Amino acid sequence: MKSIVITGTRKGIGKALAEHYLNAGWQVAGCSRGDSSIDHQAYTHFSLDVSDEEAVIKMARTLKKQFGKVDALLNNAGIASMNHALLTPASTVNRILQTNVVGTFLFCREMAKLMRGTQAGRIVNFTTVAHPLNLEGEAIYAASKAAVESLTRILARELAELTITVNAVGPTPIETDLIRGVPSDKMDALLARQAIQRMGDVNDVINAVDFFLRDESDFITGQVLYLGGVC
Amino acid sequence: MPNRSDIEALILESVRTLAEDFEIEALLKPTAESALYGNDGALDSMALVNLIADIEDAVSEHFDASIALADEKAMSAKNSPYRNVRSLTDATLERIEA
Repeated sequence: MKSIVITGTRKGIGKALAEHYLNAGWQVAGCSRGDSSIDHQAYTHFSLDVSDEEAVIKMARTLKKQFGKVDALLNNAGIASMNHALLTPASTVNRILQTNVVGTFLFCREMAKLMRGTQAGRIVNFTTVAHPLNLEGEAIYAASKAAVESLTRILARELAELTITVNAVGPTPIETDLIRGVPSDKMDALLARQAIQRMGDVNDVINAVDFFLRDESDFITGQVLYLGGVC
Repeated sequence: MPNRSDIEALILESVRTLAEDFEIEALLKPTAESALYGNDGALDSMALVNLIADIEDAVSEHFDASIALADEKAMSAKNSPYRNVRSLTDATLERIEA
């Protein structure tokens, strides 16, 4: 049975991804700050902060004992905060960087070790169209995801010798908690900048992730795939 | 709690196994003074990454301790904890005791 680690599985895209891979017969390990919202015999939940190094290491050790190896990692956990740069406190900056950058890095580091020997490890990181679109009000969020993209490209090189591919998906806005509170005029303006001008759907994300996880995608690494025709 | 010789024995065994897997003749019979990485070290970066992950696994399995041997002095020729078996033993012990 293939095993996959997905961060941020309590709700939204992460939960949908976990349910998708459970239905596809994968063994899924998820995490969130809170308790699990998924009840499935092939699902294991870890309550932790993705930027807590010690907790991530302990999770990896537990998975090593429980699964033996990990085939894939989806670094979905992320937080955003829409605000003008001049009104953004350093505490918000640190919080976003810790979760989006440090959390992604720690999971890549620890889970890559568990992918040794699989001959086909897969890491998919999560970025956003807010980065290439240079969205006003998203300075720190977009900057954190720019870091994730750079991390993706460099890890693709560093982990290639371990036969692990590292890619990223950049969803458009999707109806999740992450964009709750964004004014509708801002959302309309954002959608107008996409080639395909509609809100994204979680199935759009699943489709892109599925592509990166396919056995046949072993020659694809270091790539960032934006949805909705953003480039 | 494992003592220093327990840790050293575990590291020597990990080095020996890695040397067989990677066909590194210089490390087939390692000692505490065996150079690993950097000046005179026989490991390239990929072999080092594998050795570190193997040791973390072994520490977890044998001593039920979750450690990471990641270190900001990794690439330092003078102070890298990965430069030889003795320094790697010190670094491992330090983390287990932390």
